[in-house]
Amino acid sequence: MSKRPPPDPVAVLRGHRASVMDVCFHPSKNILFSGAADGELRIWDSVQRRTISSALVHNAAHGIIGLAASPLIGDDKVVSQGRDGTVKYWDIGDGDLSRLKSSFCLNRNPLVTIKTNSYHFCKLSLVKKFAFGPCQTGVPENCQDAEGGETTFQGNQMESIEDSEQVKGPKYVAVSGEQSSVVELWDLASAEKFLQLPHLSSGLPNTTTKARGMCMALQAFLSPESQGYLNVLTGYEDGSMAWWDVRNPGVPMNSVKFHKEPVLSLCIDGACSGGISGAADEKLVFFSLDYQLGSALVKKEITLERPGIAGTSIRPDGKIAAFAGWDHRVRVYNYRKGIALAILKYHHATCNTVSFSADSKLLASSSEDTTVAMWELYPPQTVT
Amino acid sequence: MGEVEEKAVLEKVGNVVASINGSKHVDQVISAVYSLAALLFPLETLSFIGSISEKYRDEVRSVEALSENQTKEWWKVFYKGAAFPALARVLLYDVASDWLVCFPISARKNVYDVFFVKGRMTEVVQAIVPCLQNRGSTSYDTSAVYSNAERLLVLCLVENDGAFQMVKEFNFQCESEELTGDKLKQAISMLAQLVTSIPDKARPGISSALSSHLFFKSITTQLLSGAEEWDKNLPDGVDSCNKIYTHDTIVFIGEIVARICRRGSADVLLSELIPRVLCQARNFLSGTANVSVNKTFELKPGLRFWSRVIEEIKDSYAVERLSEQLLHQLAAQNTNDIEAYWILWILFHRSYENQPLIRSMFVDKFLLWKVFPICCLRWILHFAILECSPDNTLLTKAYHAHRLVETMQRLVSVWSKREFVQSSRLEQQAYVTAALGLCLEKMSKEDLDATKDAIHSILQGVSCRLESPDHLVRKMASSVALVFSKVVDPQNPLYLDDNCHDETIDWEFKPTMSDRSSVAKSHHKDEEADKVKGLDMAKEANGVDDADMGKKVKGRKQKLLEFKLVDPDEVIDPAALNGELISDGEGDDFGSEDSDSLSDTSLEPYDLTDDDADLKRKFSQLVDVVGALRKSDDVDGVEGALNVAEKLVRASPDELKYVASDLARTLVQVRCSDFTVEGEEESAEEKRQKALVALIVTCPLESLEALHTLLYSATVDVSQRIMILDVMTGAAQELASMKFLKPEYQPRNLISSVSDKPWFIPRNIGPPGASSWKEISTPGTLLNWSYSYERELPPRPGQIQRGKTRRWSLQSSVNENQLEQSQNQFPQYAAAFMLPAMLGFDKKRHGVDLLGRDFIVLGKLIFMLGVCIKSAAMHPEASVLASPLLDMLRVREISHHIEPYVRRSVLFAASCILVAIHPTHVASALMAGNTEIPRGLEWIRTWAHDIAESDTDRECYMLAMTCLQLHSELALQTSRALESTEGTFGTETLGLPSALASGMIKIPRV
Repeated sequence: MSKRPPPDPVAVLRGHRASVMDVCFHPSKNILFSGAADGELRIWDSVQRRTISSALVHNAAHGIIGLAASPLIGDDKVVSQGRDGTVKYWDIGDGDLSRLKSSFCLNRNPLVTIKTNSYHFCKLSLVKKFAFGPCQTGVPENCQDAEGGETTFQGNQMESIEDSEQVKGPKYVAVSGEQSSVVELWDLASAEKFLQLPHLSSGLPNTTTKARGMCMALQAFLSPESQGYLNVLTGYEDGSMAWWDVRNPGVPMNSVKFHKEPVLSLCIDGACSGGISGAADEKLVFFSLDYQLGSALVKKEITLERPGIAGTSIRPDGKIAAFAGWDHRVRVYNYRKGIALAILKYHHATCNTVSFSADSKLLASSSEDTTVAMWELYPPQTVT
Repeated sequence: MGEVEEKAVLEKVGNVVASINGSKHVDQVISAVYSLAALLFPLETLSFIGSISEKYRDEVRSVEALSENQTKEWWKVFYKGAAFPALARVLLYDVASDWLVCFPISARKNVYDVFFVKGRMTEVVQAIVPCLQNRGSTSYDTSAVYSNAERLLVLCLVENDGAFQMVKEFNFQCESEELTGDKLKQAISMLAQLVTSIPDKARPGISSALSSHLFFKSITTQLLSGAEEWDKNLPDGVDSCNKIYTHDTIVFIGEIVARICRRGSADVLLSELIPRVLCQARNFLSGTANVSVNKTFELKPGLRFWSRVIEEIKDSYAVERLSEQLLHQLAAQNTNDIEAYWILWILFHRSYENQPLIRSMFVDKFLLWKVFPICCLRWILHFAILECSPDNTLLTKAYHAHRLVETMQRLVSVWSKREFVQSSRLEQQAYVTAALGLCLEKMSKEDLDATKDAIHSILQGVSCRLESPDHLVRKMASSVALVFSKVVDPQNPLYLDDNCHDETIDWEFKPTMSDRSSVAKSHHKDEEADKVKGLDMAKEANGVDDADMGKKVKGRKQKLLEFKLVDPDEVIDPAALNGELISDGEGDDFGSEDSDSLSDTSLEPYDLTDDDADLKRKFSQLVDVVGALRKSDDVDGVEGALNVAEKLVRASPDELKYVASDLARTLVQVRCSDFTVEGEEESAEEKRQKALVALIVTCPLESLEALHTLLYSATVDVSQRIMILDVMTGAAQELASMKFLKPEYQPRNLISSVSDKPWFIPRNIGPPGASSWKEISTPGTLLNWSYSYERELPPRPGQIQRGKTRRWSLQSSVNENQLEQSQNQFPQYAAAFMLPAMLGFDKKRHGVDLLGRDFIVLGKLIFMLGVCIKSAAMHPEASVLASPLLDMLRVREISHHIEPYVRRSVLFAASCILVAIHPTHVASALMAGNTEIPRGLEWIRTWAHDIAESDTDRECYMLAMTCLQLHSELALQTSRALESTEGTFGTETLGLPSALASGMIKIPRV
């Protein structure tokens, strides 16, 4: 039986002049953000596949390493992280595409600039929040509403520990700190650091975390099972991962070591019950999170023929997961069963990131070859 | 009574002789002879009476016959005493020359021949044979005497089974016991001598029956049937040692057999002998079980005489010839092992037991010095060493373990010597190897342990063979090693070679002589690669088990896969097999409760096949290539760099000149085996060599300098040195047959002639097959601002249409008009190739010892030099470079190198010189008194002559012959050139050294 050949990208976005370090979809609109190593942030219309706007948002010498957008930080906001030691919080306008072009321009200043003074490779992470079931397609309003409701609930919880007030929930961003083994949580609204993991004031020796080396990957998330307290999953240089709860910033809840080489990317699924990790070795790990025991368990481990996974992503509906490989390929797996589904070959240089759109219809992959490829895979079934 | 009769007989003979001498008419002679014949033989008188005249008829009738008993008595006396020789003399000389022609046929038969045919054969032979010898005496009609004697011999010995009778006579003689001891033996041997000398004495071409082939054949048949009869009459239960019964008959047969063998007719003898023994042995074998066959054989009438006959042959040379021929003939007849064994046993078992000479012949000579087919070797081993029949499988220890071990040790001590490998013929080596291998096969571990230094010797022999440049020699080593390892540990056989994984080893080592006709060119090519590989194999031999294990595991995985694929929803990623235990169990309960099976089946995988073709690093700069090659830890990089190296070099970029020496060095030092998977070393090695060849060709001077430095540096190993020489050879050949693309000059009209066509219509030039121009009509408009035309062009040969995009280029038409021209580019670089390489060959430095240990490199070097000089053939450079090369070849350590491999190379190089030098150059050197070249050529001739006469290596011999032939051709051409110049200038004025000239033109005795 001859199988279908793997699909080609439905579109290739060209325009960057340097390696595209990160891509992310707008949480509700048909917008794609992409950031390149020369500091350029581009905003694309993901339907027309055209650049809407472009701006040099970070120093060209250092470039962008991370981008993030989330309903939690606002619909018209995007966060960019540069290797110049700053995280910038941008307003892209009210989301009207026709006006976006003019409103978001080169000279505009960011709403907030956080000087983290960290010069490393670790991408920032916004808080990923528990979502009920698969995302409804084509109804961003619903999503928004649902999330809005959540947010308030969460926000209340958070307020109980932190006295900072939020309009739409905690606008936190997790980054690897000035001291590269430390994870810092910053409040985007106030541009203040409110927590360090491990917490320096806890008085405990930090040798354990230091021994792990640099923090290479981050994922912050809120799960109902964690009683609304922020959790952070961090991957370190020595291949270990730690699960932190902000209630106990001194020591991680759990620490596991699935990889032999630095963990380069982490992704938690929508239900916050598990995730995937990619590292510099040739292993992909599917793991599950057990909140009762506070432990992470390997569900499935896949060995590839070539090492290096730079980026991972799980589709919002939790069906498939994608891995961006150093070997120029994007690999797609059935997330639940861990079965290989496709090897996507288009890029002719290292892939940096993969990202799914909020409606689960599109997959974007960015690569060192300065392109962003858009793929349509296994379109989600519309729920009637 | 005897004396009385003897007197009477003598008297009668005297009378007859007197009357013959005094007779005037033939009838008188007839009647005189008849008068005696009638007394000796029972004759019917009347058969010839009609043919003689009346006058003598009565005389004949008047002779009264004696009684039967009296006749017998007379016969005995007549033949025993002096009577017969006296009469025979008269009959054979006087009567034969004077009267016999006139004898009527019936008279000749009844009166004359009867004396010989019915006489005592031993005496008859003694009487007749000397007639053939007396060539000096002229008193008789010699030709009549000869032809009569020959006729009588045919009549007696061939037609009337004289030899059979002689055997019988010996039987009777035993009883009468007249002669004894040495005298008898002497008589017997003299008689045998006479009988066997007949074919030599008979005049050639007169009687075919007396030709050695037919005569010996007939004699053999008769003797053998005589012997069989003797054997049957032998009373049963006679002790085998009983001398009396073995004596005369057997001695006589033995003597004759020995002499036949000595006279080189052993094959004739055996062609009679083998079928008889074989038939008897077969009859016997089919009838009995194999229990104590020996004893039964010994007692069986009809078989006993064989071994005694052989035992009686005292002439060891004859026995050797006989047994050698026997083995060869049995092998040629494809006799099976068991029969052959029994034939050997029947014939030789007594002498093998009793005569040390015969034993040593089998054990030493036949194993170490002779070369037999392999089946013979097996028979010899069974007969002489194991002393048990090949079918004797039941009694495993029936053979003489002690003798086997002893033999094995002797074989090993010869086999393991380096000199043996170097100097003995290949066939001999193969034979001894086979003998050793077969011995080892029969041995057990205990036997082997019992020997003191055999194991050490075997290993030594194996290792010195593995270094040999000859594939067959290496194969011998690996076969012996395999057998040896099987003896030591049957579970873990050691395969030194990939292609001999069969259970049974073919000991025959068939040399592929047929394809050696293109000797010099081909023999160098693949051997070194093989050799190096062989050494590697030895290292990797230990890994065999792991590989096997790997295969098994793979097989199991394969099964797993197949099993899994039955489930349509399940698709297995081979990589996922590791984690399958987890995935199957937990995959389902991990999914949320509402996990819809629909959506899961919709996730049907795409084709997951993946190759890494796109991941290879692309090199576009030579500097990158050099850099990548230096990073030996980046396996892919090295591989990719090797892949593109040749192309990049061939493109010959500007910077090549500056990178060349670096690139050459790194290419030599890359270790292909390090980064390739097993089995793909070849292709990587080939790429490396091709790149080097390309490098030398495109940039000779710089790269050669680097390579020459490496060639004699201590940092490279033998295989790298060989590789360097190989690529130099390749490059020289490529440079010599360099092809150039030259644009063909095409006259074109710069100004087109005015024709009836409008100027804007394109002209019909282009490739053949193009259609004519058509105007493109643009619909809708009436007015055309521009004229456009189109036509269809046929695709160019080799053009493949890919997709819709077509490429146009101005260059496209250029190729078709180019012509390939070849031009020898080598001579200008010849000195750069050769001279530095010739500098350091005799220096022994650290890691470099060309004259000794690294002889293969030396052979390669000389071969390379030969190719170089050949590539420069007929150019003046060749003549200049020939003399230093000749000087090098003339060094004794080289020209008489102990390894045949080196000698072959030298012969090849010498032939190349002979081919390369232009005859006119030799001629002018001769005339100018420049003795260097002519001396060198003369040396080639004498030396090649020596080699052809005395070298043990067959290939050396063939090459030497070619060399001599080439020399004579060159000499001929030179003499012609000399003649033509002499015609114009005259010899005296030029002062031609005549001795040298004659030396040059000496045509070798080929």
